[in-house]
Amino acid sequence: MNAPVFQAKDYKSELKPIWCPGCGDFGVLQGLYRALSSIGRPPHEVAFISGIGCSSRIPGYTTAYGFNTVHGRSLPIAQGVKLANPELLVVVAGGDGDGFSIGGGHVPHAVRRNMDLTYLVMDNQVYGLTKGQLSPTSPRGLETVTSPFGSLEEPINPLLYMLAYGAGFVAQATPADMPGMTALIEEAIRYPGFAFVNIQSPCVTFGEDDQQLKAHKAKQKSLASLGHDPSNQLAALDLARAYGTELYTGVFYRNPSPPPTYESLVKLRQTEQAKKARPRNQILDAYLQK
Amino acid sequence: MLDDLILGMAGAGGDGVVSAGESLLSAASSEGYHALMTKSFGSQIRGGESSCRVRLSTKKVLNPGGALDVMVALNWDDFFKFGAELPLSVDTVLIYEEKAGPPPETLKARGVVPTEVVPVAIAELTKKSAGTDKAKTSVVLGLLSGWFGIPSEAIGRGLKKKFGSKGEGLLEANEKALASGIEYARAHPLRTPHVISKPKGPPGSKMLCDGNDMCAAGALFAGVKFFGGYPITPSTEVMQTLTREIWKYGGTVLQCEDEISGIGATVGASFAGRKSMTATSGPGMDLKTEILGLATIAELPLVILNVQRGGPSTGLPTKPEQGDLYQAAFSGHGDVLRPVLAPTDVEDTFKTTVDAFNIAEQYQTPVIILSDQEIAQRKEAVDLIDTSRMEIIERRAPTEAELAEKPYARFALTESGISPISHPGMRGGTYLAAGIEHNEKGDPTSGGTMHAKMNEKRFRKLEPLKQRTDLFELSGNPKAPLALLAWGSTAGVAREAFQLATAQGHDVKLLVPYLLYPIAEQVYAGFFESVKHGLLVELSHQGQLYRMLRMFIDVPKGLKSFCRSGANPFQPAELVARLVELKGLPS
Repeated sequence: MNAPVFQAKDYKSELKPIWCPGCGDFGVLQGLYRALSSIGRPPHEVAFISGIGCSSRIPGYTTAYGFNTVHGRSLPIAQGVKLANPELLVVVAGGDGDGFSIGGGHVPHAVRRNMDLTYLVMDNQVYGLTKGQLSPTSPRGLETVTSPFGSLEEPINPLLYMLAYGAGFVAQATPADMPGMTALIEEAIRYPGFAFVNIQSPCVTFGEDDQQLKAHKAKQKSLASLGHDPSNQLAALDLARAYGTELYTGVFYRNPSPPPTYESLVKLRQTEQAKKARPRNQILDAYLQK
Repeated sequence: MLDDLILGMAGAGGDGVVSAGESLLSAASSEGYHALMTKSFGSQIRGGESSCRVRLSTKKVLNPGGALDVMVALNWDDFFKFGAELPLSVDTVLIYEEKAGPPPETLKARGVVPTEVVPVAIAELTKKSAGTDKAKTSVVLGLLSGWFGIPSEAIGRGLKKKFGSKGEGLLEANEKALASGIEYARAHPLRTPHVISKPKGPPGSKMLCDGNDMCAAGALFAGVKFFGGYPITPSTEVMQTLTREIWKYGGTVLQCEDEISGIGATVGASFAGRKSMTATSGPGMDLKTEILGLATIAELPLVILNVQRGGPSTGLPTKPEQGDLYQAAFSGHGDVLRPVLAPTDVEDTFKTTVDAFNIAEQYQTPVIILSDQEIAQRKEAVDLIDTSRMEIIERRAPTEAELAEKPYARFALTESGISPISHPGMRGGTYLAAGIEHNEKGDPTSGGTMHAKMNEKRFRKLEPLKQRTDLFELSGNPKAPLALLAWGSTAGVAREAFQLATAQGHDVKLLVPYLLYPIAEQVYAGFFESVKHGLLVELSHQGQLYRMLRMFIDVPKGLKSFCRSGANPFQPAELVARLVELKGLPS
């Protein structure tokens, strides 16, 4: 086999990540470089869109085009990018707070439109950048600076959400298993439609002990080893219920016959309507009263 | 013979007065009249009260006008729900449905009682002629045609267009109703005839459109390729029009899940290199503010239309107000300079939209268009716009040579403050766009020195805008001591007031800014030099432009703010009266 045209290092920028030593996001970033190298698109044809948070810094650490936007709005902005230029490979990245708290309202709509976007959530069950507050995926009872007596809420379940909204590709990974995570990211990017990977990416500074890489290694069970069939949506829903107790990795669901993407339908509409275009200097004639 | 005729109609939601107004407008415009229609509703989805005003003229119509020449009330309750929108004078011909009974005492309480009050058994005439009561407004159209000289052939053509496809019976009924209205008017002449002269322009020379139409058309003309938005009154028609049209030109409309997503997708599309726009009204503008800041710091071209309605909060969703100027200029955190343009009528909404795109693309900045409910939704018959000299500006992309020469610096500190902008897909142009402050290359920084340089750059690049005298309309003697200033829809009233005052022999001049922000200090200073007295007219409680001018420049002591809350439109005559009053005061 030939060496890839672009090596993993070709996607790595000169910026040094601001993350704490040992942060799970370093692993995610490495996996991402490798996945991109396998796919082989030149960096200038890739756009990374993110929100705000530790993991949302990712676009700057790549040599691709990046847009590190505002908190919670990466999905709408990424959809604009994709529709403006469907040829681009668009990856959306962010944390659990960015995606499921402040940006939670955008998720179902991004899913139901089914653009060919890959959404990587680095889920660490805590707010890291603002130094250790409760996040939407924090377990009930978690003590943080904003829940000194323990959280009173149930966490949301990102896997169940995504499956229920109808996402065509739903997976979970951990950087504790680099080859497995890298392969999942690559598969998500290659999936022709909206693809979601929940990456359990440990926060070394504010995360719980049982959420660290070492614990992940011990705890993770691959869905393949359980004999799960990723084309079985109901089985996927059932397995996803274990979020927060079990650490299943692999593909929960992959639509065996992916529906057309939004942008492909747009293209059809544009082609069909193009014959009705007026020359620029006749646009106003449409309003003339005969 | 009259050159100008203002008609009003009011009724219950199902009466079809707005539809009748549209027929009238369409008939008049196809005959070559200048014409304008405004409509007003209660905020009910169906039913409730509705009204419209139609102004016909042989000359360009500048505004909906003041007191009505003709008022048709199908019932009194609904008529009285519209106060300032349907003002009567002693000269108004007041026509009412006989069945509704004589004018109640409330009419007297409103101060003016027309001398010519004409009951017509409209419902009965309809039943008799058409055999149904569904064609009432066709009787009304017949009455208006017969009494005021609006060509009945054109109205008939309109009926054919409207009902032709809905079955022979309905068309026939309406044609009979129209004829009976005309017949009735002939048999019962008015005491004072009010007949409008023949139009000056040839038939078929007019466009029939509203401000939202012209905004959408302007965007298409400028080359818009992406629109992201969320429905909100009174701006939704822009999205509705674009979503029928944009595909033809290779573009996309995305109806988003909320206002934030609307501007978010729009910013994303601009980042990807396409001309992009969103449209909204006050509450939506509130939500879009954070991403406006993102577009400013990432220096992304973007056009945002705010069709102003009464505020705050839900306020008066179907009524115009000029209360969002502060928001347009100052909303969002941080030191920001964001251009704000305002169209003043249906026709110039087209050019203002093109200007907004050009400024956005040239200076890589979000630009806000401040329209308002009146110009956005009033239907108007206007002359076809000459677009032959309108320029289209594209954003300045780095050349191949520039990209090859050295590592690309997206935010290079150039002399003009404008840095060549790449977009995803462009080889050699990769960079990080971000909400976080950046250095020239685009890498994040939290250093004060670089932040100061970038702020300075973002302000400096917009300086040339202040010299754009083409974004100001100046009329009258430049040395006149008396001045009128107005912006947005209010400018149309000020233009007519200016003409009236000039005709009365006053030495007066008029300034209408299309560029509201940044404040063009020199343009105003030059204008104010000769001014002893003047009025700045605004439809808002505070008079926001007046206060903003005082924030940036010295304003003559004799220049007063003349302002009041939205949904209380100004009338030309009252502006003249106020000017004359001022003239008597020491300067």
